[in-house]
Amino acid sequence: MKIIKDLFKYDKRFSVGFIFVVLILFMAILSFFPPYDPTIPHTFPRDLSPSLKHILGTNSLGQDIFWILTIAVRNSLIIGGISAVISRTLAILIGSLAGYLGGRVDRVISTVCDSFVVIPRLPLLILFAFIFRGFLNPLSMAILLGFLDWAWPSKRYRSQILSLKESEFTNTARFSGAYTLEIIAEEHMPFLLSYVVADSISGFIWAIGMETSLSVLGLFDLSIPTLGTTIYWANYYKSMLLGIWWWIGSPVGALIITVIGLYLLSVGLGDFLDPKVRLQRLSK
Amino acid sequence: MNLLKSYIFPRLVQWVIVILIGTTVTFIIPRFSPVNPVDVVMASLASYQTTDPQAMLKLKESLEDMMGLNENIFVQYFKFWGRLLKGDLGPSLARFPIPVIRVIGNAMPWTISLLLIATILGWLLGMVLGTFAAYYSHKSWSKILQVVIMALYPVPYYVMALILLMIFAYIFPIFPLFGGVGIGLKPSLSLNFILSVIKHGFLPAVSIILVSIGWRFMSQRALTSTLLSSDFIVYARIAGVRNRKILFYLFRNSLLPQATDLALSLGGIFSGALITEVVFSYPGLGQILYSAILQGDYNLVIGISVFSIIGVATGALIIDLLYPFLDPRIRYS
Amino acid sequence: MRKIFVVLSLLLLLSLAAFSQLPPGIPRNETLILDQIFRYSIPHNFNVWTPVGITPTRQAFVFDTLWYIDQHTGEWINSLAAEPPKYNDDFTQMIVKLREGIYWSDGVEFTADDLIFTVEYLKAHEGLVWNADFNAYVDKVEKLDKYTVKFTLKEPYPRFHNLFTARYNACYIMPKHVWEKVEDPGSFDFFPPVSLGAYVYKDSDPSGYWELFERREDWQRTSVGVITGKPGPKYILTIFYGPSEKKVMAMLSNELDVLMDLDLEAFKALIRRGKYVRSWYKDFPWAYPDEIDMRNLSFNLEKYPFNIKDVRWALALALNIIELEENYVGGISRVNPIPHPATTYHMKYFHIPLKPWLEQLEIEVTPGEKFKPFDSNIPFELAKWARKQGYKVPDDPDKVIEMFGIGWWKYAPDVATKLLEKHGFKKENGKWLLPDGTPWKFSIIVAPDEEDAFRQTMWAVDQWKKFGIDVSMITLERNPFYAKNQTGDFECTTAWGVGGSPSASLDKWPYINGYHSRFYKPTGETQTLQNIIRLKDPEVDRIIDEMGAISPDDPKSYELTKDWIKLWTENMWTIVLTSFKKMITYNEYYWTNYPTAENPYGQPLYWFMGSRFVIPHFEKTGRK
Repeated sequence: MKIIKDLFKYDKRFSVGFIFVVLILFMAILSFFPPYDPTIPHTFPRDLSPSLKHILGTNSLGQDIFWILTIAVRNSLIIGGISAVISRTLAILIGSLAGYLGGRVDRVISTVCDSFVVIPRLPLLILFAFIFRGFLNPLSMAILLGFLDWAWPSKRYRSQILSLKESEFTNTARFSGAYTLEIIAEEHMPFLLSYVVADSISGFIWAIGMETSLSVLGLFDLSIPTLGTTIYWANYYKSMLLGIWWWIGSPVGALIITVIGLYLLSVGLGDFLDPKVRLQRLSK
Repeated sequence: MNLLKSYIFPRLVQWVIVILIGTTVTFIIPRFSPVNPVDVVMASLASYQTTDPQAMLKLKESLEDMMGLNENIFVQYFKFWGRLLKGDLGPSLARFPIPVIRVIGNAMPWTISLLLIATILGWLLGMVLGTFAAYYSHKSWSKILQVVIMALYPVPYYVMALILLMIFAYIFPIFPLFGGVGIGLKPSLSLNFILSVIKHGFLPAVSIILVSIGWRFMSQRALTSTLLSSDFIVYARIAGVRNRKILFYLFRNSLLPQATDLALSLGGIFSGALITEVVFSYPGLGQILYSAILQGDYNLVIGISVFSIIGVATGALIIDLLYPFLDPRIRYS
Repeated sequence: MRKIFVVLSLLLLLSLAAFSQLPPGIPRNETLILDQIFRYSIPHNFNVWTPVGITPTRQAFVFDTLWYIDQHTGEWINSLAAEPPKYNDDFTQMIVKLREGIYWSDGVEFTADDLIFTVEYLKAHEGLVWNADFNAYVDKVEKLDKYTVKFTLKEPYPRFHNLFTARYNACYIMPKHVWEKVEDPGSFDFFPPVSLGAYVYKDSDPSGYWELFERREDWQRTSVGVITGKPGPKYILTIFYGPSEKKVMAMLSNELDVLMDLDLEAFKALIRRGKYVRSWYKDFPWAYPDEIDMRNLSFNLEKYPFNIKDVRWALALALNIIELEENYVGGISRVNPIPHPATTYHMKYFHIPLKPWLEQLEIEVTPGEKFKPFDSNIPFELAKWARKQGYKVPDDPDKVIEMFGIGWWKYAPDVATKLLEKHGFKKENGKWLLPDGTPWKFSIIVAPDEEDAFRQTMWAVDQWKKFGIDVSMITLERNPFYAKNQTGDFECTTAWGVGGSPSASLDKWPYINGYHSRFYKPTGETQTLQNIIRLKDPEVDRIIDEMGAISPDDPKSYELTKDWIKLWTENMWTIVLTSFKKMITYNEYYWTNYPTAENPYGQPLYWFMGSRFVIPHFEKTGRK
């Protein structure tokens, strides 16, 4: 808690990011307490522009966009979050196994990894979405995406580790008799962490982006509100052509706020986690 | 010689295995698709005309025979490899009997020229901007740049592409609404043709670059700021080494992981840029692959995937073989 | 780096100056630009005799067949034939008299030899489209003289000429002098095609986004030239612009003259800004209402509980059609209660004459309790609503019916409840339970790119949910959608063509004979034909058999068609909703005199083969 307070005080980027993320989380939580079922169409007049009564206006289906968006944000966070956790856990595990153990283990892992990397992902995903059509929901989508996204980052982790392994301070540490695990934990982790954070966020964004792509193509369950399906419906009813900007703008805006929030948070955290930057800041 | 035996040869074997596994997976998965290519052809036929019920059944049987879909899957698999090794990808099922290779050949130049340029430019821009943003992280332009790039990053391709089109093809009719080249222009080395291609490819490329810059920028910024805190840079800065030199150093030292990514992305361009192609009506491979998936055209799905698989695998191979040149600290061990 | 940038931007600027949509030598005001329905996957294949070669729109320009029926007016057109077919008394022989003075685009005369060759060639080559038909019916085809052909049939078949009578398409005639040299018709691409239409192929995009045709110098030596006497546009360009947003942009920039279909929202955006843009009607309800089909919600009749007639009726009565019109489709589709298209042509022969029958129709709610489900007041309710929206609606009741249809089923959830309770269904906490006590759940499959079907599904889902049934929607792309329909893997589907959507003629047999139990396939087996709902009924067989034995022109055939409609309606085999409208949109900047509600001289369905006789009537405005 104190750390967050400190960060808040010293790092403006962190504080903005923090506020954005809290805002988004707050929206996701709100989705559990709607004043009415927001998915029922024709509850309100259509295409009302934003007002006090409807903060984000209403859409061409006569739904309140704000309350639909809360559910969409929640579902997309589930998709992005779970998928990123799955893929990055796998990636770090596999990447560091390959990187540290090297030799035959590395070779086998790299082969398996590469075999996954080479198969084009979007088509594969489309195919899976196609085959498992009836079973698609945010959770299954997250799991599917998570298991499609570990190979590429694990290659990145591997090469990061390889380059760390050869770095001066690793050698220094090794000469001074440190154990491998110790080196990893004390010397490499700080370096890796900021990368992991940035990478996880990109995994998160990738998952949301993929869900959006699938939804825009109409391949997700369109009756489940997500940021992607909200964009699908806004497109379907030609909100851009008709100038109903608040409809298409809302999910896109939510996406941007989420991503910028996470990004700024990660930059702040990354600096915080990086011991040297921290020292610099304290000395200033 | 030792190097060849201990590193290059196993790596080549790995390359072969990767392609083998990848291709096999793409051979198997489409067959779980709920769509049967013959039924697709029959359905489109039925929706266009009314033929005698008996006649339809007869036609369906002869189609299945012609496409070789009545055979056992293992027979099909071995036949597939037999053909592939001869460079024959078989006929497209939804466009029977046009060979898959011809379908791919039509779209490949478009995909390659668009995505090669967009990928490399996006990568370079991301790298440069990321390095600068990290190095000058306290300048206000750097902060604005970060926010702008990060705001563009999550914008869905579809929306981005449509907005670009509305502004630059409709409100200001500078760029064309569709296609890869002007109507009636034949491929040639004439200035007219090349200009037309550039003009048609401009907006698609911009839409791809704008969105793809985000990740590169973010990772490069992260890498650079880590490097920035290394003793070397700290001393260099104190010692007053010129900015340009330091930037170059930063750039060079983050090249390794970023080059890996570039190689893989370049290999991956063979599967096309689906959404971009849909919105811009660009004649690339992505849409062909998508419709092949929808139509259960296994042969075409596999055909395009094979290119992508070989492309990515080779990209990875090349980068692995080049590692020591990019980063002298790594030795073949 | 900077230099390259400067050069690049200069080049771009330079190219801007030369910006023009059309290639040099093709003047825009001589060119009709049509909306290409989709991107052609095989651009350089004009072999329309293979199952994958059929491509809409272009068939009207370069191919021809013997007869046409205009799908709007119902007019019979003798095209390559000089007169209607002549059968002998037992329908085992058909004699065709051909037009004289018709030429192929390479200067060879079209004669009986071409027709005979086509039939014999198709008969001899398996895998081609009309192969099985000709093998099934044609015993012999002989030349009586240069312009007369006699078909001898294997069995009596009074509708043999349908194979050469175009609705969407029909058997295209091959040029003998080209095809007699073709060994392997499956891989022959007939490119560039030798044309029998008024146009010749000029150029096309290898990627399939556009195709350009040029009028023949000798267009007067074609059936189109002889019949219309008008030259028509010098060039016809078809372009696939992509998503409908782009079609709208293209039309607003006058880079598109005719659009096949638009969703209501895109259309509204278009007319808001486009000064020269209109659809079939100048004003509300804009859209062309006479596309020959209807929109249905169809059940798999083999799946419980949809095999129960009362359940199907209950589902129909739980729907509020006025809601559909007002909130989901914007009031621009005719409502239609019977399994027959509610086009202007068919309404005259079927809907209006059958209205008294519909008004008297009764269903048994509970033993002894009858209910008249038909509500003829619905069009007038809709007219009231439309007037409130500010649209101009005529007061003449006939005009109102023409605009909104004859009526539909009453919204009667109370009757629906009774019908369900009769079969042991229970409603608890507002949710319907099946007789075995489990919640009643089912799903509707739909392809979202079919705008109307998609919106009607959303409506049905909302309505039935409100009634207490847990209904969901499964959206599918076209191909898996077809696949599920064919195998019967659905409970409720929005497939089109169910119930038989005929040509603009009174004969329905060709469009319903697939429901004969001979062709029945159980759920799980692929049914490529009409009967995806798995209907099996002796009465159906009787009607089909009786119709098949008589001439399509026999007045008894008309009566039997009405019997079919009544039988289907009483049983509620499908819930027919509305007519099949198309938002055909014209841009009158360069071209005018399109077929419209005020001037309905022919079918506006330009992607049908019969549009060949309509397009020549388009007139230049002379604008540059």
